[in-house]
This record gives sequence, structure tokens and C-alpha cells, in this order.
Amino acid sequence: MRSEILYPGAFPMVRVELAAGEQIKAESGAMVGASPTIDVESKMEGGFLGALSRKLLTGEKFFFQTLRAGRGPGEVLLAPTVPGEIVILELDGVNEYMVQKDGFLAGADTISIESKMQSFTRGLMGGEGFFILKIGGKGTLILNSFGAIHRIDLKPDQEYIVDNSHMVAWSATTSYNIERASSGWMASFTSGEGFVCRFRGPGVVYIQSRNPGGFGAWIRQFIPVSE
Amino acid sequence: MSSSPNALCFGYELPASGAPCLVRFGGQGLTVTFASESMAGRSEEVPFTALSVSVGGLDHDQLVLKWIGDRGERALYLKDADLIRSFRRSAPEQLHVPFERAAELARLVRRRRRMVWGVVAGVVLALSAGLWRGGDLLVALAVERIPPEWEQKLGESAYKDFLARQDIVREGPAVSAVQEMTRRLVEQIPNNPYKFEVTVVKSDVVNAFALPGGYIVVFTGLMKKATGAEEVAGVLSHELNHVLQRHGLERIVKRLGLVAAASIVFGDQQGLAGLMKQFGVELMTLKFGREQETEADLTGLQLLYQARIDPSGMIGFFERLSEKDEGRMEWLSTHPMSQGRAERLKAELAAMPKLSPVPFTFEWAAVRASLGVSPPAEP
Repeated sequence: MRSEILYPGAFPMVRVELAAGEQIKAESGAMVGASPTIDVESKMEGGFLGALSRKLLTGEKFFFQTLRAGRGPGEVLLAPTVPGEIVILELDGVNEYMVQKDGFLAGADTISIESKMQSFTRGLMGGEGFFILKIGGKGTLILNSFGAIHRIDLKPDQEYIVDNSHMVAWSATTSYNIERASSGWMASFTSGEGFVCRFRGPGVVYIQSRNPGGFGAWIRQFIPVSE
Repeated sequence: MSSSPNALCFGYELPASGAPCLVRFGGQGLTVTFASESMAGRSEEVPFTALSVSVGGLDHDQLVLKWIGDRGERALYLKDADLIRSFRRSAPEQLHVPFERAAELARLVRRRRRMVWGVVAGVVLALSAGLWRGGDLLVALAVERIPPEWEQKLGESAYKDFLARQDIVREGPAVSAVQEMTRRLVEQIPNNPYKFEVTVVKSDVVNAFALPGGYIVVFTGLMKKATGAEEVAGVLSHELNHVLQRHGLERIVKRLGLVAAASIVFGDQQGLAGLMKQFGVELMTLKFGREQETEADLTGLQLLYQARIDPSGMIGFFERLSEKDEGRMEWLSTHPMSQGRAERLKAELAAMPKLSPVPFTFEWAAVRASLGVSPPAEP
């Protein structure tokens, strides 16, 4: 499996080359095009109950697609739904990433994906819901974001503060606490930064340069209201 | 297998995401062998005496070993259970205390998280249960605020939906008989806010049901089974009282409360909308609760009495239906019959002053004949 980002920027696409017999999993609906040697299958990762819990709890799609080069080598084109960058990570079998529910685009068949319950405070205030994806194993992982992806490297005990709705993925070796952005409740809400996450290294945090919820709120004012 | 990396090493000149490495514990300390291509084969030896032990990671579930090496501070993150056990076996005594403290902290975090979720689950369950059981007062309050017109609209759409798929008996002795029964019963209801509408549907199903707003359906199967008009009138009276006591609405409000709570918990508004839609369908199969059945029985009995229709027909019919299990006794599946229920009605009737019933203007035998039941079916 070899992957390459085409048209980097706001509207990128990933080309994944598969050797005969190789397969990848992708978010359902992510496929844009493929060689005729590629077979598309829906697969419920983690069995029916696993898939159901992922659908109900994380809001992530019920099925992942499996794209298999069953009849010879070929290539697949994948793209996310929202405008925004794509990043390719190589998982080494030791590193694990926590990924917010919309961040997963595709991955090698050898990576593992599970829904994980967050702590109550993080789930309530963190902005990515009570359940997130924990992705580990060995192989390529392709993430997408809303806006550009920015990578923050944290050395041991180094801290960084991120607005809660800008998180895409972070290594499992980091930890974070939810905090109010400013002292005093009033200031917290009036500053527009209700809650923030204080990350603590070591590890890597991927953030997105746009906030999907904020964008939704902004665009809502232009949508004509019927009646 | 032993050469695949089992830990992540962090340090000043190492990648921020951690350098995958192979950690082995020996008698004096540990050996870190880096696995990445750029550092392949490089290894560092660290004596146990240089190590400090703590926990780290998102869920405080990784063992963190730190030391100051030649190249500055190093941190090693271990999460593999076998590796952590191996550390515990080979570590000297002075590291046992900090190790146990770290393990205790990890357990504490896990326990606290479980406890918080337990409390949250408990509160959600208690709220749902409260809404379902103890919330009767709340439901009654909510139901009181819903105007009969709203109820009528809800019932009407379900009623029309249902009738569109049925074979309706539009005229004839059966229809006029049912209309006469309904008229006599409805006349006795003071301040009746409903416009009752009764439809006879051709079907062998032994059943009748009431929708919110005063829409009642009687199947010909029920009429065929009844040996006297009073028996059908008894069932009608029972169904009318489900409407008058707004039982259907109570069920819907209760159900909505639970669904809304569940939807909020799971954050699934689409599910909520879908379930709301389903209520139209569910109105048909709406089962009433035991208390609601008893209430409809008793008020039904009183209504029959006021309309001067012999209530013993109702009781006898209920008993007969519960004894025989022939054909499709669907009225029983939605109105579970117990001997206690009939006994209760008998006792209630015995306590009332003797009644001189006023007969109906139609011949029941003629009504049944019009439905295709041959006359010798008399008991």
C-alpha cells in the first residue's frame, strides 16, 4: 500500500496504490474512483454490535468500506466530505492515536479501530462527544480535517492549550484537562472560548484550523427560513 | 518477535510522537534499543538507580520511566502489560514503593471514572424510571394541558390511515345497531368534549379499539361472537371510557418522555423524529396499562348502568372470551383478561341497586344474520 496526497490544500484527494490481494478500510462514501480491479465491500468493523455502538455512540458511520484489490493491483481515490486537509500517518505498532469521530478517512487493514468512552468531563465539555476512536496497530492511517491540519509537537511535560472544537487527533501518550478559557464564567462565555483543552506532552496533537460547529452557526444565518 | 518495538521513548532530540524502541529489563537496569531506521541499532543502558517511576498517558494507564541521560531528559512510556510485569519482577526494592504508588494512581483514576459513569448511568436510569413509574402525576398534568382538538387530530390521522386499508361496513343492521348503542351510551356522558365516531370493519378479528379523540373501531368478528347486543354494548362502553379517561394520550406522553430522555442521552435527534413518526402506527397497537383497564372496566360498567343496558352481558362476555381460546381472540391480547377482573365487576354490580334494563329497538339475531351467522347459534 502506497499513498499520496493529490491537490494539497482545501480540496485534496488521496491516491492509494494497492498490490494484488491488499485491502484498506475507508469511511463509507469516501471513495471517489478506483481501478476496475478494486472490489468494494461494506464491513462492520468489530462485528454487528461494535458497529452499532460506533454508530449510536460516536455518530461515526455504521459501516466502513473495505476496498480490496482482489483481481490484481490497482489504485483508489479517496476524499473526505468537508473541505480540508488530509494527513497521512504511519503507525508503528506502539503509537496509538485518539481520533475525534469525523477525523478518520481511511487506513490500512492492519490498523485497529475501536470506540472508546471518554471520561465524563471530557465527554461533556470536550466537544467531541462521549466516544472517540482509538486507532492503533501497524500501518498507514489517513486523517482528514475541516480546514488545514496543524501539528503540535509536545516534549515531556510541555503544555499547550487548544480550543475544544479544533481537535482532530492526539497521541495516547498525551493527556488533557478541560478548563474554562478565562477566569470567571461570564468572561468564559463572552470571549467565545467557552472551554479549552490543556494538553500535556509528550506526544503529538493534530488540530484543525476551522471549527465545524462555528462554521455551521455562521452559515445558518444565510439559510432562508421557510414559512 | 522479540525485536518488534514495545515502548515509546521521548527525549530532546527524538521525534515528538516518540521513538519506537525495544525495552528489556536485566538485573542491573534496562536496555533501550531504538527501532526506527534513522537510529537503527542504537541502544542505551540505564541503571535502575537512575529511574523515576510515574503514570501518564490520556487515561493514566501507561507506566512512565524517566531518567537524565547523556542527551538530556528521557521518558519511556510502557503500556504493554507483560513488559510492565517484567519491570516489576526485575526492579530493585527501592523502586517498589514508587511503582505501587503509580499503580495505585492508575487504579484510582480507573475507579473514579467507573464511579462517575456509574453515577451518571444511575441518574439517567432513575430519571427514566421516575418518568415511567412515579411520573404519573407529571403525565396527568401534561395530559391536562393538551386540548381535545389536538387529541382529535392525532386520533383522526391514525384512524383514517387504518380505515384506508380496511373493508368498512357502511350500512345495514350491524351499523345501525352499533350507532344506537353508541347514542344511548354517549347521551349519559356529562360535558362530553368528544364527537364519538364508531366504524364497523369487516374482519374475523374478535376485537374493538379506541383511538384518542373518540374514534372507535368494532370488528364484525366481535359482533359475530356476541350472543346478545348487551355484550357488544359492554365492550363499546369499555372502549368509550378509554377515550374519556384519555388513556391513549397518557400512554403517548409517558412514552415520549422516555424516548426524549434516551435521545438526549444518545444525542440522536434524528432518532427522536423517527420515533415520533412511529407513534401514528403505534396508536393501533397501543396497550393500556392494568390500572387503565380496571378504570375503563369500572367506569364502563357505570356508563352501561346509567344508559340502562344490562351490564351482566358485559361481564358474561368477558368471561366467555377468557375461557375459550378459539379463533383470533385479539381483544384478549390487548385486554388481558383475568378471573379477578370479572369478579371485581361482579362485586361492583352487586353493590348497585337493581336495574330494570331498557331493551334495544333492534333484534340482535337479525343483526347477526346480516353478518352471516345462522340463527341456531343461540346458547
